[in-house]
Amino acid sequence: MILGLALVISILFGCGAFLLLKRDLIRMAGGVILISNAANLFIVAAGLSRGREPIYPLPPGERISDPVVQALVLTAIVIGFGTVAVLLGLIYRTYTARIARAVDQGEETEGTPVSMPPEDRVAD
Amino acid sequence: MLLLLPLAITWFGAVALAPFDGRRRAVGAVAVGVMVAAFIALVRLGIEVWTSGPVEMVAGDWPAGIGIRLRADALGIAFALISLGVLLAALAYEVLGGVHERSLPSLVLFMSTGLTGVFLTADIFNFYVFFEIAMISSFVLATYGAQVGHLRAALTFMVVNLLGSVVFLAGVASLYHVTGTLDMMGVADRVDGAPAGSVLLIAVLIFVAFGLKLGLFPFHSWVPLVYRDTWPAVAAMLSAALANIGSYGLLRFGAGLMPRELSLTAGGLIVIGSLSIIYGAVQAISPRTASEVIAWSSIGQVGYILVALGVGGPVGLAAAVLYSIINSLNKLVLFLAVGLRGWLVGAAFALAAFSVAGVPPSAGFFGKVAIFRAGADADSTALLALVFVGGALSLIYLFRIYQRDYWARNHATPPSPLGARVLVLALACGIVFIGLWPEPLLALSASAAAALTGGGS
Repeated sequence: MILGLALVISILFGCGAFLLLKRDLIRMAGGVILISNAANLFIVAAGLSRGREPIYPLPPGERISDPVVQALVLTAIVIGFGTVAVLLGLIYRTYTARIARAVDQGEETEGTPVSMPPEDRVAD
Repeated sequence: MLLLLPLAITWFGAVALAPFDGRRRAVGAVAVGVMVAAFIALVRLGIEVWTSGPVEMVAGDWPAGIGIRLRADALGIAFALISLGVLLAALAYEVLGGVHERSLPSLVLFMSTGLTGVFLTADIFNFYVFFEIAMISSFVLATYGAQVGHLRAALTFMVVNLLGSVVFLAGVASLYHVTGTLDMMGVADRVDGAPAGSVLLIAVLIFVAFGLKLGLFPFHSWVPLVYRDTWPAVAAMLSAALANIGSYGLLRFGAGLMPRELSLTAGGLIVIGSLSIIYGAVQAISPRTASEVIAWSSIGQVGYILVALGVGGPVGLAAAVLYSIINSLNKLVLFLAVGLRGWLVGAAFALAAFSVAGVPPSAGFFGKVAIFRAGADADSTALLALVFVGGALSLIYLFRIYQRDYWARNHATPPSPLGARVLVLALACGIVFIGLWPEPLLALSASAAAALTGGGS
């Protein structure tokens, strides 16, 4: 079980890191999502204990699973969700700002990929 | 109750101001008022801590050990005061100069809540939650200005720091795994019983996360890109207030929770810190724009904090606290001055530049003296030489900007709003004032270091 979880976490993290290095911003956002979910899975794995559900009344003499990690991972998922929403909003704004500028300068916008604006175009 | 007040004031203020248009002067003025109220509440709390020891409360009236603890000690108070003060100054500057986007006042208040919470919590997961509150508001703040350059800086900042948050979260989860608790006091007690190898690995994870936040040498690549392109007031908030999370985190998690691992890796920390100092200073000499020079300079300045942390002991830790505080003040004035024109601002810039180089009677002199003492404590001539060389280099690169931007430039552009210029000059005079009367700050940093070594958490 531990080995399985470790493998899944490493695959998730590896794919996320691979996507994060792409120029395409949508793929980069995908990479961030995968990496933050790898972290969530890591939290679950950190408190992995088998047993009954931790709900009162507890059955005497039986092991129960750790409820704290569930609370932690729930919080982490919510926070991750919020950050991804902000990231997608930011990507959309970058995209529209670039298109607006390209139109101003009379450039071709058809099929422009959603990518990081190039270095030499810094607005002063 | 006293402990909750600074958090509650800024949070309710932020929620109440969120629907209003922040470009209106009245909304900005209310936001500044809320920040002043929170600052006063924090000072009240600080006086309480100073006279009768750490203030503590458990959220939701749970018995101690089950509920989440909030705890204010000298270290947390010192960092909370400087961060809130920096945010207050930067917000006032932006309001005086005219706010460009509606969300700014509310976002700054949210960031203050997050930062104050980070410094006043005694629970490692709660630390992460407050950390993220501050981070998310800073991600949005980084887009301020909404030009393509600002947006690109914000994207870089966001992706790199999200990665840092994930690394930190993994560190927190592993600490919970090996100690079975999230309370800082409990972690500090039990961490020595955990397998040494895994604790060392966790310490490295947490070091990487905070190093990334601070912009230390091997993790610095985002710093010049982001600080060059963001709005000056926002760059001041990010580098002078938000980056404090990094130095506070290193102090709290390193010296407070895992002192064994800190002393084990002290040599490595000193080497990384020295590399940061030299690399940052050398790189700062070449670039053209002022904010890029200051960004590289900030990489060098945080190196001193790491060196002091590596030396450790009461002297080293006090030096690290003192240097973080003074570094925040210098960075605040430098970044704010970059955004303005006029001779008042030139004077402010020169004062802050002297402080970065450590020329008396500026506050920076005492920061350098503290690092110097730490170096003398460690019996290392290399460290002493490093302090001198670093100081000399910083004087060179900062006065190159001064020459270019305040002497050589023709003043065809109209000078900036008077209020903002006077504010920056007043802040710069504050730095000199601290240099003339440093005793309160020295006492505060000494007691912050004592809070680390004395009480565990």
